[in-house]
This record gives sequence, structure tokens and C-alpha cells, in this order.
Amino acid sequence: MRLSILFGFLTLVSLAIETAVPYWFPLRMLVPNLIVILAVDLGLRHHGAIPIALAFAMGYATDAFAGTILGLNAMLITVIYLLAYEVSSRLMVTTALVGSIMVFAGVLLSTIGGLVLNSGFAALSDAGPLFPHFAAEAAISAIIAPVIFAFLSGIKRITGLPVGPARE
Amino acid sequence: MKGSFLWRNRVGLMGGALIVFSLYLMTAGVRHGDRIAAPARGMLEVLRPVQSGTADFGQGIRSVYHDYLNLVHVRQENERLLTELAQVRADQARMAELEVENRHLTELLELRDALGVDAIAANVIGSDATGLSHTLILGQGSASGLKAGMAVLSNRGVVGRIIATSPHASRVLLIDDHNSALDGFDQRSRARGIVAGVVDDGIIMKYVDRSEDLKPGDTIVTSGLDGIFPRGLLVGTVRGVHREGPGLFLTVQVDPAVDFRSLEQVLVVTQQMPQMTADQKG
Repeated sequence: MRLSILFGFLTLVSLAIETAVPYWFPLRMLVPNLIVILAVDLGLRHHGAIPIALAFAMGYATDAFAGTILGLNAMLITVIYLLAYEVSSRLMVTTALVGSIMVFAGVLLSTIGGLVLNSGFAALSDAGPLFPHFAAEAAISAIIAPVIFAFLSGIKRITGLPVGPARE
Repeated sequence: MKGSFLWRNRVGLMGGALIVFSLYLMTAGVRHGDRIAAPARGMLEVLRPVQSGTADFGQGIRSVYHDYLNLVHVRQENERLLTELAQVRADQARMAELEVENRHLTELLELRDALGVDAIAANVIGSDATGLSHTLILGQGSASGLKAGMAVLSNRGVVGRIIATSPHASRVLLIDDHNSALDGFDQRSRARGIVAGVVDDGIIMKYVDRSEDLKPGDTIVTSGLDGIFPRGLLVGTVRGVHREGPGLFLTVQVDPAVDFRSLEQVLVVTQQMPQMTADQKG
């Protein structure tokens, strides 16, 4: 329950930032994909049915503010969670570096995957000039991810939630 | 129960089910207005206050950016504009002055044309240094053709006469100076007298016969008999008539027509005035 409330609140804040900041400042590329970072944190550190449902809900909430296809971001964020879950399950240690790599891959997946699901594979060839922007956004998200992971760890300690990954 | 296949693979199974559901949402043509999209619409409503607050905050930050971080350019622009404004104001004041001067000169020109005499305009550049006498200093002198004894007029009436010149300056004795005297008469009753200044300010008309009819409000004009001032120029208005005492003459107090303290340009009559005889006065 606490996990749901915490990540629900953080999702709202993240969406508020992602929808407001690019509007007021010409810094779209510099705004990290906070939803993906939250989903990766969930996948690395919280294993279970509720966390994956939370990831789905986060993606669904993103659909409310992004694009026209309902369910697109819900599916992508769920997939990103599953990938992070699998990595966390296979590795002995999940450090901030691992988290950053997962975030990088997750952002690329969400942007390119979203492009393909929206417009088809043919759009990939037309979107060539956008790939540097996708990569930049993924890199910035990956760089900022450890800071957010640390912030989340601090909040989890305060709220009594488990900080480390749960091993099954 | 824990340890069963479902429990051990709950994440994968749950994930698979959610992915399938997502695909259903994507492929079933669900629109944001459909019932199944109600949670998404709810998200919009829930987040609206947060977005409004963030937008206000972002707008404030952007204002700070525009207002303060660009202050260097604003300050330079401000300084440039202030300098420009000061220049414009100075030009404006000068324009206003030129306009006033132009109007004065136009009136003097009209006066000269009305009089039909030779005259030149002169600027008043100073007044008496001691204050004991009532004189003005003009910015033109003998080099401009001015000579002692020439009449000095304004568009409102008689000012005085030149008493001294240098090549580029002249001194004018005002009619309200106690050393000044000119021949004038009441335009209504035709009563003649000598208009002279008094020590304690103002002008009076003296040597007016006691039997003459003068009233407050009467207009006093030059007679032309002194050979200095052209005939019919406005001197002033009668303020009071005193008949006290056993003397032969009245004492007539006159308000001068000209405000000597506000003179800026005057007209100097350069043409020699013919000295009219008493028989020639109208």
C-alpha cells in the first residue's frame, strides 16, 4: 500500500514536470524520462504482482498525457519493468551503474518502440535525424538516474519500505 | 500458495497479462472518450492543479530569467534610452522656446508693419544690475544700427528708449523708471500729460489739467510730440485719479500695458520720428 501511494504520488509529480517544464523552457531534450526511471527502480528493487501493476498504471497515466493511443506507454513501461526485473533477478548485485544502463536502454525502448508502434517500422527510416535526440534524452536520463535512485532510497527508508532488491 | 508455479512466476504472468491487455487497448481502437479510458481522463483532472501550479512556477522562473538574467542588456538599453530621452526633452524644451520666440517675433513684425516704420527686433539679455534703476540690456547694439534715443516697443505697448549703446549691446530705459518721461494722452478725453516713472515703482501721468476728465480704465497712448515714440502706441491704463490738494494738476496713476519682467524680444524703431507739434495732434 505504501509503495503504491509513494509511486502514485511520484508519478503525478513526474508527469507534472514532464508536461510543464518543456512548455515553459526550450529544454525538452534535457528533461529526463522520470517515468522510465521510476519503472526501472521498481523492476530492480521491488519484485511482485503489485509493483508490475504499478508500472502498468504509470504507463497508463503517461498515456493520459502523451499521444493518442491508449495503452501504448502502458505496455512499454510494463516491458521496461520486466526487463529490469529480469536483470535484477540474474545479477548478484544491482548497483547504480546497472540502474543507469537499464534507464538508458529503457528510454531508447520507450522512444523508438513508441515510434514504431505509432507509425510502423517504415517510420524508422524517416526518423533518422531524431535518433541523436533520442540518444541524448536516454543519456541524460541515465546520468540523472542515480540521483533519483538515491532520492527514492531515502524516501523508502523514511516510509519503512524495503530499499534493497527482493530476491525470490 | 507460495512455492506454486503461479506464485513463483507471478511477475511474468502478471506482466504478460498486462501486456496483452495493453495490446487490446491499442488495437481495439479505444479512444480517450470511451468508458475504459475514464481512468486516463481522471488523471487529467487530478493532475490539472499540479500542472497549473507548475505552470505558474515555470512562468515565474521564466520571468525571472527574462527580467533578471537579461538585466545587462536591459541596463544598457535603459541607459541608452535615458540619454535619448534627455536629448528629446531638451530638444522639446528648445522647440517650445523657439515656438514662443517665433510667436513674439511674428507679433513684433506685425506691429512694425502696422506702424509702417523701420524697426528691428532685439533680444533682451539682461536687466539693471543694481535694481535702483529700471533698465534692460539688449543683445544688439550700434553694429545693428541702434542708437541712443531710439524707441523700444513690444507687441503690448511702449517699453522705453535706448540710452546707451555699444557695438553689440544696448541699454534701454524703461518708462517706469523715475528718470523716464514721455508725452501721452487719454484716448477717451484727449487729456494730455507727461507719463513718468516713480521711484517706488509704477508710472503716473502728471501735469494733467485739473479740469480734465479722466477715469479709471481709460487708455493712455503716446502723443508723438516728443519725437521719440510714434503716435498712438499703448502706454497703459488709468488706475486712479487724485484731485487732492490745491494744486493745478491731477495725479493720475497708470498701470503699464507691458510686463517689463517678462520681455524676451522687443522692437527698436530705427526710423527717426518727426516731432509733431501740438497743432498736429489729433
